[in-house]
Amino acid sequence: MPLSVDKPISRRSFLKWTGAATAASVTAARAPVLHALVPEKKDGIPAKVENRFSVCDMCLNKCGLIARVEDGVVTKLDPNPKFLKSRSMLCARGNAGIDQLYDPDRLKYPLLRKGKRGEGKWQRLSWDQALDHAAEQLTKIAEKYTRCGVLFTPGSDMQSTFVRWFAEVFGSYNVTTHESSCLLSRNRAYLDTFGEVPFSDILHTKYIIMAGANRFEALITPDSIDLMTAKKNGCKLVVLDPRYTKTAALADEWYAIRPGTDMAFFLALAHVIIGETLYNQAYAAEKLYGMEQLGEHVKQYTPEWAEGECEIPAKEIRRIARELAAAAPAAIVYPGRRTSDYVNSTQIRRAMAIVNGLLGNWDQPGGLLAARKVGLSGPELPDSPFYEDNPDDRADHGRAHMMFDEEGSIKHMRDAIIEQKPYPVKGWFAYKINPLQSVANRNKTLQMIENLDFILTVDITMSDTAWMSDLVLPAPSYLERQDPASGLQGSSACACVVTRDPVVPALFESKPVFWIFKELAKRLELSEYFDFTIEEYRKQQLKDLPDGERALREDGVYYNPSKLYGVYEGQVYKTLSKKIELYNQRYADMGVDPMPVYRAPRRKPSGKFRMVVGRSAYFTHCTSQNNALLHQFMPENTLWINPKAAKRLGIRDGYMVEITSKAGKGILKANLKEGIREDTVYMLSGFGVLSQGLTTIYGKGACMAEILEDYADEISGNMAMHETFVKVTRKGA
Amino acid sequence: MNSKMIKRHSKLSIFLHWFNAASWLFLLATGIGLVKNPDLQPVGMWWTHLMWGLFGSGENLLMAHVIGGIVWAGVFLIYAIVGIKQVSQFLKEIFSYSPIRDFMWLVKKGIQMTLGTRALKKFGGILEKRGASPEIATPRIPDQGFYNVGQKLFAVPSVLGGIVIAVTGIIMALSNVYFTNTAIVRWAILIHFITVGLVFAGLLIHIYMASIAAGERPAFISMFTGSVPEDYARHHHRLWYEDVKEN
Amino acid sequence: MKTKLAMVIDSSTCIDCKGCMAACKVENKVPAGHWRNWIKRQEAGVNNFKKAAGKTAGHFQPGNCMHCDTPTCVQACPTGATYKDEKDGTVPVNDKLCIGCGSCIPACPYGARYRHPQKKIVDKCDFCEHRRLRGELPACVVTCPTKARVFGDINDPETDAARLVKQNKTLQVVNPESNTEPNIYYLNATAPMDWPVKAKIPTPIQLWGNVAKPLVWALVGINALGVLAMLGKQFILPDDEIQENDQREDNNEQQND
Repeated sequence: MPLSVDKPISRRSFLKWTGAATAASVTAARAPVLHALVPEKKDGIPAKVENRFSVCDMCLNKCGLIARVEDGVVTKLDPNPKFLKSRSMLCARGNAGIDQLYDPDRLKYPLLRKGKRGEGKWQRLSWDQALDHAAEQLTKIAEKYTRCGVLFTPGSDMQSTFVRWFAEVFGSYNVTTHESSCLLSRNRAYLDTFGEVPFSDILHTKYIIMAGANRFEALITPDSIDLMTAKKNGCKLVVLDPRYTKTAALADEWYAIRPGTDMAFFLALAHVIIGETLYNQAYAAEKLYGMEQLGEHVKQYTPEWAEGECEIPAKEIRRIARELAAAAPAAIVYPGRRTSDYVNSTQIRRAMAIVNGLLGNWDQPGGLLAARKVGLSGPELPDSPFYEDNPDDRADHGRAHMMFDEEGSIKHMRDAIIEQKPYPVKGWFAYKINPLQSVANRNKTLQMIENLDFILTVDITMSDTAWMSDLVLPAPSYLERQDPASGLQGSSACACVVTRDPVVPALFESKPVFWIFKELAKRLELSEYFDFTIEEYRKQQLKDLPDGERALREDGVYYNPSKLYGVYEGQVYKTLSKKIELYNQRYADMGVDPMPVYRAPRRKPSGKFRMVVGRSAYFTHCTSQNNALLHQFMPENTLWINPKAAKRLGIRDGYMVEITSKAGKGILKANLKEGIREDTVYMLSGFGVLSQGLTTIYGKGACMAEILEDYADEISGNMAMHETFVKVTRKGA
Repeated sequence: MNSKMIKRHSKLSIFLHWFNAASWLFLLATGIGLVKNPDLQPVGMWWTHLMWGLFGSGENLLMAHVIGGIVWAGVFLIYAIVGIKQVSQFLKEIFSYSPIRDFMWLVKKGIQMTLGTRALKKFGGILEKRGASPEIATPRIPDQGFYNVGQKLFAVPSVLGGIVIAVTGIIMALSNVYFTNTAIVRWAILIHFITVGLVFAGLLIHIYMASIAAGERPAFISMFTGSVPEDYARHHHRLWYEDVKEN
Repeated sequence: MKTKLAMVIDSSTCIDCKGCMAACKVENKVPAGHWRNWIKRQEAGVNNFKKAAGKTAGHFQPGNCMHCDTPTCVQACPTGATYKDEKDGTVPVNDKLCIGCGSCIPACPYGARYRHPQKKIVDKCDFCEHRRLRGELPACVVTCPTKARVFGDINDPETDAARLVKQNKTLQVVNPESNTEPNIYYLNATAPMDWPVKAKIPTPIQLWGNVAKPLVWALVGINALGVLAMLGKQFILPDDEIQENDQREDNNEQQND
């Protein structure tokens, strides 16, 4: 066969095969090497870049930020270098704000419930339909149950002031916030000692005791940052916590105090300070009321006795008392923030406030500071209307000795709604708040919900509370909002004013709650009370600060160089005695212990654990767990349990366990930690969600709110979340 | 020596051969230039710097190499499909051997080339004395077909090596498009390098044998003209010559 | 003196808030499940809580690609896509030259590199080059609450980074078997120290340099020598014999045909 004679390839077949080859190489052109052949936009450089100011909303601190906007898309949030309160930082959550803005689970348009509550069936409404419906429902309740028949719960937000205003002009006294799950015990205690709630000058302090406060995880600006700076400058940090938190890890001394016995420790400190005359006698004579009574009272509270209660050695207690007093007045017993722990939390905090009083640290560098003048003016609003048929008081009135009138108590309010006493409350307007996750005893909240005719939630994602609502209205994130001005107390960092203007236009059909109220006001004949714009409102707020507008526009923040120390020079304290009250007369008159009397915490039943509550730097309470970025730091919550205790129950690290309490139960993974007492367990909030609209975390972890039983502080009505005993059983490997 | 000419290579064969040679050299030069690691660079970093300089940047060099590779492999892939008849004939030829005859060819040709014709005759004598059969003992070099076994023994690794080089090359080119398992890519790089090295070693011999070695002039010319003298064909590729003569 | 960009970290002030990890992730669009930087932690248990001099019992150590001076990742890279940039001391990745072979990934003692699941080439910290080009500091540095990270040219005595290195005791976290001379300097003390692993140059790359290269050289060498010998024989020693002989044979055959 002749090899030499080749049949020439026909041109047609050649072209056919070349075409196939070209197709193949075009696919391969995805490879960057070949991609370079294809002319394309030069290496991703955006056409239009803008930098805009705002303040973060991922938690309450409101750190100033600069948003980088490339071609209309926010690509990065950086700290505002001029923002003193945050010492120019932006934490993990701050950076994750972009994932809140572009959250795929964001609410897009008004939703009306179809089917049963919690089924997750929704019908899309136009805004007009939604607002008409809301106005109709609110009117119905108002007519049948008076205006106080609607509960308003504003979250921690710069527009929450409008929720209060709307509640006021609508005529409901029933406004409660998360504060009664949080700091009311502290506020009560310090108001009743110093006449005002102080801020800590951590930056300049030389000795600080933190009982429970986990500042390196529960970030508060500038406290968390200044704490580290102070440490570097030689400040000593002593931490009392049943749990080895990151604050405990970085402390000079950490004691795994027996939960609920903090009062014993601080009364013993007072015992030593007074007994050994480690206080400034001239100061005491001039500024402290009740030294004699206190001296008598704390004689019984010896360090030896205290050791028996709190399990901290007596000699350490003595030493700490001496070191603390020696550092005074630049020494602080840190007031903390979330103090919703025990039924006597207010008294516990009173004990701590009393020690602060003895240290003479009020209004001093490194001590407790009065609020600084910020300089915002109250806006000129018309007088709110009076509703004849309204009841005399809030629905939760009288259930605790000294509730804050404008806060009440969410626990007592919920009970009142369930009991329908003193009068029925049938409506609920929730703004940017999630009681189904944040308030102890979720089943009770669900029971409360059954008693309500109409629930309206304004939120940015389908939180558990939104999930159980009747009408859900989509709000814009902070990066899309224009807000009124807000004053911030930064202790020794600053006293400042912040505000917000939109960084990008509002996405989808989201509308700020201010607009919602304007529209509702129209429909409820309350237009005159919302007859202003945010700009006008802000202008009024800034009227006494001539440089305010410029500073906000050019620097993203306005600073009031107001007095830091010596604010109380020549002033009296806002108490009955006009002094710092170690002995509180009003309490005595009310039949409440005028000085804290130690009461051991409720006995833990054997075989059970006490559940404690705590925070993480990655999440804000029960929000942001679903955030796409933050979720990567902790995909689910776990139960911290001591290895010895776990071994006794046959539980290994990573095993699924079930925890049960009188309130409810949950299943989650066990996380064996040496750094927690054998009698204590801990879990993070915000998981075990009901809402299937939180697609990233639905089905993950367990819900702490379901497990916590709802006790309340006797004096303030603040939730008491450390009183729950749980049973832990192994579920599986 | 006046001879008639006999057609040996088609125009397409000639084109493909020189196309292959040129592509190979281009790919060799650029490929070696892409090794920018002194531990791995076989020739020396000077070559890499030279190539980078010539092409302007490493990315350009890489692009040139990959495009060159795709064109080279592409042309042969097309040919393999379109000219399947010629290709299978070629493959059949280079993969068929008569072990004893071909082995003796290698031995005798080797002796002739290194030690000369006299030595070959002596060798034949030795074999005869040892009782080898006349076909083996004869100093005459055994007949060969279209390709002699020496050519076949280069063609085989060329073809197989070429396939391995192309496949490993494609793996590397697509490694940032499809692959999640990078171990494949790493081994592909190594095999690519070794195979190129092996074929290159053989290439040195091929170039010498095909163009410089004594007596190969007519063959070399035929890679341009397509024809060899009949005498040459009869002497060097008798079996093929006889086949052609029959038709 | 040449620019040498480096990071100086006071890990005793790190509170493990993950701010740097979040900032980097957003700034550099790092895909989920991967990180360009990290925070290592050393925790003491309840029973061995003790304050060691200069160290707290718990310690958090932020880190990222150390842009080493003798990088093993560069040693593993066949194409030179990753290299030590003499201009500023960083170790960049040229993503147009990276062929995604992943050899550099196990070659890093710090695990600083990962294969980008979408781009399918290697990715790692580049000290936020695009931010530096804008005159800004890396995202992790700027965002940190306690300003634990200080970044700058340690060869320029005017920078904070250089000053810190000069005025303080610093240490590097290295694996003693793979000291790549990293350019993150920890002030005074840090923990944990023993986590970097021995650099692993992948087997194919090792084989290439140690086995394949000499093997190919040997083969090519032998063949080349053979060819040269034959060339020598052909041109130095005349051998018309073969052609003459061939001719004679042909003539014989022709006569015989």
